[in-house]
Amino acid sequence: MDQTELKSQIKRAILEELDLRGKSEADIDDSAPLFGAGLGLDSLDALQLAMAIEERFGVAVPEGEPARAVFASVNAIAAHIEQAKAG
Amino acid sequence: MLGRERIAITGLGVVSALGSSSEQTFQRACAGERGFVPVDLFDTSGLRSSLAGQVLGLDVAAIAPRGEAADWSRSDALALLAAREALTAARAPATEPLGLVLGGTTGGMYETERALAALPAGSIEPRDARRLLDFPLSVSVERVARVLGSVVHSATVCSACSSGAVALALGASWLLSGRMGRVLAGGVDGLCQLTFTGFSALGAMDAEPCRPFDVSRAGLTLGEGAGCLVLELESSARQRGAEIIGFLSGWALGSEAHHITHPEPSGARASTLITDALRSAGLAPSDIDYVNAHGTGTVQNDAMEALALQRALGPDASRIWVSSSKAQIGHTLGAAGAIEAALSVLSIQRGALLPTVGLVEPAAPSLRHVRAPNQKSALRAALSCSFGFGGACAVLAFEAPDAEKRVLPAPQRGSVVVSGAASYGPLGLLTGAASARYLEADTFAEAELDPLTLLDAERSRRFGRASACLVATAEGALQSAAVTPAGTGLVVGSAFGDVTRSVQFLQKLFDRGPKFASPAEFPQLVASTGSGNASLYLGLTGPCLTVSEFATSGENAVSVALALLELDPASACLAGAVEARDAIVAAVLGGGPRRRSEGGGFVVLEDEGVARARGATPLARLLTHFALRGEFDAGLSRLGAPLAESLLITTPLPVEVEAALARSAWSGVPRRDVSSKIGFHEAIGATALACAVAQIAAEKCRLALVVTSDRGLLYLSLLGAPEEAS
Repeated sequence: MDQTELKSQIKRAILEELDLRGKSEADIDDSAPLFGAGLGLDSLDALQLAMAIEERFGVAVPEGEPARAVFASVNAIAAHIEQAKAG
Repeated sequence: MLGRERIAITGLGVVSALGSSSEQTFQRACAGERGFVPVDLFDTSGLRSSLAGQVLGLDVAAIAPRGEAADWSRSDALALLAAREALTAARAPATEPLGLVLGGTTGGMYETERALAALPAGSIEPRDARRLLDFPLSVSVERVARVLGSVVHSATVCSACSSGAVALALGASWLLSGRMGRVLAGGVDGLCQLTFTGFSALGAMDAEPCRPFDVSRAGLTLGEGAGCLVLELESSARQRGAEIIGFLSGWALGSEAHHITHPEPSGARASTLITDALRSAGLAPSDIDYVNAHGTGTVQNDAMEALALQRALGPDASRIWVSSSKAQIGHTLGAAGAIEAALSVLSIQRGALLPTVGLVEPAAPSLRHVRAPNQKSALRAALSCSFGFGGACAVLAFEAPDAEKRVLPAPQRGSVVVSGAASYGPLGLLTGAASARYLEADTFAEAELDPLTLLDAERSRRFGRASACLVATAEGALQSAAVTPAGTGLVVGSAFGDVTRSVQFLQKLFDRGPKFASPAEFPQLVASTGSGNASLYLGLTGPCLTVSEFATSGENAVSVALALLELDPASACLAGAVEARDAIVAAVLGGGPRRRSEGGGFVVLEDEGVARARGATPLARLLTHFALRGEFDAGLSRLGAPLAESLLITTPLPVEVEAALARSAWSGVPRRDVSSKIGFHEAIGATALACAVAQIAAEKCRLALVVTSDRGLLYLSLLGAPEEAS
């Protein structure tokens, strides 16, 4: 899977799993922060997203503080998935 | 000022992981024992913990009446054991009328799960689905009432983990209003996979036995059980020579309106409610010697609660003993508030301190934690705190049986007006005087409405269809009343909850294990999801509860809202029900002659003086609202005669109610049947109420009588024009 397709799939996961009705892939910036200001997501969303990434991509997301780095942006999630699959 | 009477506690009963009686539970709790075992009710592999405060050796078949064992849930059995112990201790005549109010969150979810697990994979046949509707939240009250035989007034309440405490406050309200002379109030919850998996998915479950208030705490340990207290006015308890174990002296109920799972970190709302509970009891922090904390062991709750206690109790916080019983019996969710109330009462009565087991290094060292077991200390009064999902908070105050009498604040409720109304159905959302269009039009297109379009997408993003319909309708009623959401309460009636969504969650759990159980979905599947979501979306900071009573849940919500107004006449309260389309409910109940639809209604109830003072123009006056079991003729005759411009609004009625109506003074009054126009759903009574209010507001009639009935219960609500004398 190329990077563009991976990022598109990540965005679809975010939109569907977090019930972001009325938002589209175009509303999510690859490098913008997802939590806090960005999309207005909270720690419950982080738990949901961690579960969804493991379910959809077969890649575990670490719990607690390390998850913050993974969830920094769509780019960071993509990098985490690629790294995990390569490793 | 005379002040109000004190609420005497004359009996109590507890079943918990520590024992099958209050005495056993209390003694073992004081001794510092834990009741945690690996759960053997279901598979816990893949979950963060397999430990819970399970009630071992609970023989449901031996507790249920003969021939009913297959229909009784663990929760039913737990509730009956605690109820019997409390009533036996109270030595009250078994034939005297009794009020029964139980808080809970899971009902027979464990039995529902077993039924679902036994079904073949794939789509669910209607005949199989029936079993999935056999255990709604309200059945424990129904079954316990039937066994006791003397229950004349009842309610099942859910405000998540504060349910048991809320039930006690409602019981006090029934006594103070004179509705009941004696009330059995409490809470019950059995363990089930839904809550076990849900708290695990939320990362809120400690892998080790929980450690409330410790720096290393990492979540809760679940438990199950029941707690019941017999409440009476002090005067009647003394008159019959009953032994008074303690007093329920004060209460405060309210909501944070902050987040569906996280407590508001500063503890501001919780702190205000602790202060309100003290004021309601006529007490100051200097009078309090002990706090039985909510103390779940989650990082967030315990931090918030420590701040709230420090803020509300001030310098006394370092003197007042604090402990959490959850490290020994587990978090019993809807039962917790009632079990912990019972333990607090016994702790005061015996002067015996309950420790926080597992607390090694306190995260809030400024609080005076009870750490060693078997300590004695004279206790005059105690607080018991309960904080639930969606920010549903309850704080109760208890006092020793020898506490000195003093003047207690006695809020006086005036007559009740309806200051707002809204109905929901095939035409969508209708508000105020327009809400009655569901009575008037002859036919409705089967419009495919999406209730989510009525709501702000971001703030409603986790809502299912049930919450969307409900919150949109509640918002319509709130706006029609033009009342501020701050301090306003809400009582939602819900017959079955979000059945299909819960089943989908469980089916995925059975198919794929707990690893992919959705943490965001779980808080949307609890019994109080609707009231919690409405509180959050609308910013309601008064008490926000869900009640359950099958197809009269909305009417019961009005009864419970009136009880809340009795406790706090200064605040408005929304009451009603909206039932959304649900595939499983439709498959089971949709086969009859009545067309099934979705919808319901909400009204805003307010003390007339308070409504007028804020400049509101009432739509109608609620002259009377009550429920009866049998004695329908007597009930109807209590209403008096109709006026010339009266209207009868009904839902489908059983023959015995029709016969009583035909014999009553209301027999010749023009009548509209709501469901003949818009079909049937379990909230149709709430639609009828909203329509009645709207007919009066539109000056189509001066008096409207709403008659609804289900499962042998008859509800009568008489509404009049605002200028009509009550």
